[in-house]
Amino acid sequence: MAQHPLSTLRVVAAFHASGRRRHSIYAAPLTFIEAASIPVLAQVPRPWTRLRRGTGTDARQTAMTHFSWWIDGSIVGLYLLATMVAGVMVRRYVGKVEHFLVAGREVNVYLGIASLAATEFGVITCMYTAEAGYRYGFAGATPGIITALCMMFVGLTGFCIKPLRTAGVMTIPELFEKRFGPRIRWAAGLVIVLGGLLNMGVFLRITGEFLVLVCGFNIQHLEAYVVIMMTALLLLGTIYTVVGGMLSVLVTDFLQFIVMSAGLIAVTVLILVQIGWGKLTAAVTAHYGAGGFNPFTHPDLGWQYVAFNSFLALANVLTWQTTISRVLAAKDATTARKIYTRTSFFFACRFLIPGIWGIAALAVLGPGAVAALVPGATVEKLTLYPMPIFLCRTLPVGLMGLLIAAMLAADMSSTSSYMITWATVIYNDILAPFRKTQWSEKRGLRWNRIIVSLIGVFLLIYGLWYPLKGDVWAYLGVTGTIYLASMATLLIACCYWSRANNWGAAGAIFFGALIPLSFLALQQIPATAPLVKEIGPYYSGMAAYVAAGTAMVVGSLLKSVLAPQRLAEGEPVPAAVGLSGGER
Amino acid sequence: MSGSNGHEFWWLLTIACVAWYSTVTVYVAIRGASDIKKMLRHLAQDSSESGTTACKSADN
Repeated sequence: MAQHPLSTLRVVAAFHASGRRRHSIYAAPLTFIEAASIPVLAQVPRPWTRLRRGTGTDARQTAMTHFSWWIDGSIVGLYLLATMVAGVMVRRYVGKVEHFLVAGREVNVYLGIASLAATEFGVITCMYTAEAGYRYGFAGATPGIITALCMMFVGLTGFCIKPLRTAGVMTIPELFEKRFGPRIRWAAGLVIVLGGLLNMGVFLRITGEFLVLVCGFNIQHLEAYVVIMMTALLLLGTIYTVVGGMLSVLVTDFLQFIVMSAGLIAVTVLILVQIGWGKLTAAVTAHYGAGGFNPFTHPDLGWQYVAFNSFLALANVLTWQTTISRVLAAKDATTARKIYTRTSFFFACRFLIPGIWGIAALAVLGPGAVAALVPGATVEKLTLYPMPIFLCRTLPVGLMGLLIAAMLAADMSSTSSYMITWATVIYNDILAPFRKTQWSEKRGLRWNRIIVSLIGVFLLIYGLWYPLKGDVWAYLGVTGTIYLASMATLLIACCYWSRANNWGAAGAIFFGALIPLSFLALQQIPATAPLVKEIGPYYSGMAAYVAAGTAMVVGSLLKSVLAPQRLAEGEPVPAAVGLSGGER
Repeated sequence: MSGSNGHEFWWLLTIACVAWYSTVTVYVAIRGASDIKKMLRHLAQDSSESGTTACKSADN
């Protein structure tokens, strides 16, 4: 009879207390042989300590898991069936492009909360927040707290979102056209889609890896299983999104929110009860000291991490298209503000709850365990994989099914929402110049469905091809900044600065995108990779926000000096863009 | 605070997250279902008023 994974806590805690490995886990990742030679790690349950099927080398690589195909598989299957049926059934209510893209602007507060919460929590969220917990301790949850504060501030004051919803637009670039002209609308749409798709590009792969590890598929064939899982996930999400658009997304988001929340709460309570708060804090203290609780004193984080995440959080709350799409689909500006205010604390939860899972993995598995369990794992995977490996060894049958259903729910809601969101921008803003005449509803719906399908194909190809460098949150922050820096600047200027004009807007878009795109490109070139690593994502990210803001101010003032006649003749500046349009 | 191990802020935040999530899930589940019914009713009315037959567009 195999030892229960949690019984290894005592030996791991003793190992931590010895203080032999208090250095950064990135400093010298353990190799498979090194890990096996350490007596304490040798006692951590290995994949081959509980073989469920097969023999020989393949079987040795089979991850030990409590997943039962009969019980857990039935729970997952039932959930998938219910979601697909609900998603496809609402298609009969989709009669117009407006129904497809913004659900006819009929979203009320509670459906909005469920949808926003479900969209903004995917498996990818769970993975990067757990990675942050494993890698930085409790300090890794700082971005969630900052986002919650920003969300609360914007919800209470209506900062930017009130004029945005009142303008009655479908996307942010559409609002910019009213103030900065059609070219800025097109350019804004382009950077939004570029940043958004690059950001979303890693979702599928990481989700596939999570599910393969949790279900205990043969790790030796990890890549093959991940590809199959990625394809299946994409198909499931794409089918109902193509059929029902935002309407299907909202209804399935609601179901997914309930299943996801139930799974998250159950797993977190189990961890807190079985492992205990004392062991979690002891593990963080042993590995990261005071820095594990305070981002300012953590050697890998510091003020630059907090500052970058503050920029990112405010820009994200104001302009992240999947978040803003709920504002635009809301019944009115008051409903939009209520959705923000009442969802704000969720953003702290979405970082801290999976962060606790990551800390639990640190406490139970310890650093270096992944190198032993997944031979050949890259340095990025050493901090990404511990949480799913920990869960697959810890959760009992039944709860494992609920967890996987919850994670599938989280993933499908995010994938479908993101696809419909980027499709909205492509159709509404990028293709706008090509729609000289009014398209019929039938033709508009057909094009939207084609765009969603093409986005799905892109995600599959990008997920298979792109080699992720560094931690996932940093990648998401940098790719998001491609458009967040400029769009947040444009939105604030558009709503509150009467002297803002299209020169400033063009400058902000260019410089806001240039810095993060250069960072990503130079990161992949061996000659420049060390320099990029030295600068780091936090400084380069902050530079993008500062550059976008500066370009907006300088560009706008330059135009008022160099071309005042163009400002006076052709481009009247409305005092407040929100007042120029009515709701709906 | 007993049980917090000297990390009161994180202890309270963790408990608040679990409590908030549990409460909100139940509340939103009940009120959200009602929101969906209203939304679908309005959309059905909108489609019939604008002369767009929903089944026809879905087939397209």
